[in-house]
Amino acid sequence: MSIVATAVSAVSADFTPPGVEEFWQPLFGTDGPWAITRPILLSVLSVILITWWLLATTKKKAVVPSRGQMGTEAVYGLVRNGVAKDLIGSKEFMRFVPLLFTMFVLILTNNLFGVIPPMSFSTNGRIAFPIALSLIVWIVFHFVGMKKHGFFGYWASLVPSGLPKAMVPFIFVLELITDLFTRPVTLALRLFGNMFAGHILLVLFITGGWYMLTNGGILVIAGGVTWVFALIMFLFEILVEFLQAYVFTLLAALYIAGAVADEH
Amino acid sequence: MHAALATAEGDTGFWATVAPIVPHPLEFFFGIVTFAILYFVVKAKVVPRLEQIYADRTAAIEGGMNKAEEAQAQATAALEQYQAQLSEARGEASRIREDAKAQGSAIIAEMREQAASEASRITETAKKQIDAERQQAVVSLRGDVGRISTELASRIVGESLESETRQKGIVERFLSELEAGEVVREKVGTAPTTGEGGDA
Amino acid sequence: MTGNIAILGYGLSAIGPGIGVGLIFAAYINGVARQPEARGMLQPIAFLGMAITEALAIFGIALAFVFKG
Repeated sequence: MSIVATAVSAVSADFTPPGVEEFWQPLFGTDGPWAITRPILLSVLSVILITWWLLATTKKKAVVPSRGQMGTEAVYGLVRNGVAKDLIGSKEFMRFVPLLFTMFVLILTNNLFGVIPPMSFSTNGRIAFPIALSLIVWIVFHFVGMKKHGFFGYWASLVPSGLPKAMVPFIFVLELITDLFTRPVTLALRLFGNMFAGHILLVLFITGGWYMLTNGGILVIAGGVTWVFALIMFLFEILVEFLQAYVFTLLAALYIAGAVADEH
Repeated sequence: MHAALATAEGDTGFWATVAPIVPHPLEFFFGIVTFAILYFVVKAKVVPRLEQIYADRTAAIEGGMNKAEEAQAQATAALEQYQAQLSEARGEASRIREDAKAQGSAIIAEMREQAASEASRITETAKKQIDAERQQAVVSLRGDVGRISTELASRIVGESLESETRQKGIVERFLSELEAGEVVREKVGTAPTTGEGGDA
Repeated sequence: MTGNIAILGYGLSAIGPGIGVGLIFAAYINGVARQPEARGMLQPIAFLGMAITEALAIFGIALAFVFKG
């Protein structure tokens, strides 16, 4: 045991675990708030890829779909019927389908960049992108709510009807905080946190395993085990990436549904 | 790898060490822009196309169903037509039968009537003939009876009463009285009636 | 021993959501096992519940970084 302990202490002494600075990757020698960074390039690439894929697979508009079209239709059907129609209701869901579909494919592609080797970096691991997306959702669901109920009617509709008079102010304040603050912040932070933690975990497993394999001596076995775990983490990350894209779209649809609902 | 990258870019700058929940302005800007671009592509092209595919597929499926429904409707119509024809034919047959029956009974009635009228005509003729013959017989009998009774009476009396009788018309009167049933019946019918009444 | 106490705070904040997410999926599995046809209806609810419960842990990780320095 003591041998392992000394080995661990010896290794950990000059091993630097991945940290926050791992996510700061400016390109072309730029720096500062207007630096062009790697996630910016990846987000542009994702839009190009998605646009090409969607336009190419739907070009033929075949009644009997090809394999690519079938994949696009499966994703579209999930967002259209499984999320939008179920949550918003068949009356009004159609005008939100483009928004939710865009959101889903954009988040999914950018998430999956985290496990696809040439990119190997999840754009949504940078908080600016989730904040941008959740800001769009936040503006949209407040806007449609106010359009439907009127400015004051919308805020009044936050409080559920049939409440005792004394309770109304407290509930109103609570709902206001939820509506204005908690919802968008958790929406952005959830996506960011999952991608950030997932990426840092993968980097830790791979660099740590690599370090142990090369410098460990007796810890070579541990390094091998770590890489096996890294592989498992890769698979787990793919699941999480799908799930987060789905949850983000689901919550966006839920907030929109709450805003356009007739009664809260 | 990470260390190499990080050191190459310099990990001492503000953006490298700042808390990861501080958004980078340009990244935020690109987050909005990329979403907006993709949104307009999806809204203008992709969703209409996919909706059209959905609609086409629904139409194709419904078209097939419509075709089947049409065939069924045609079959039903044919069956109905057939049944209508059948019932019509049945009706016609029964109508013809009815007609024939009516016609037959009419013929029978007519025949019967004709026969009856013929029979009554024959009867009438026969009756008339009989009447005429009877009249003739009565006339000739009257003459004969008169002549015979006169002859008999003259034979009994012994002399010819012929001229006298003819003059006085005794026989004629007697016979007409006899026919009227006044004289003879009174004479013949009263005697036994009173006799019987007397006995009782 | 080196490190940051904020990470310990994140570890503590992850306990509650961990139990909560476990309970949610236990209930979801129970429900689907009893009524397999209700899967489509339960799935969004389960994921929504998970997302809302998980928010606490997400707050934890964010605040861990905020109060790190």
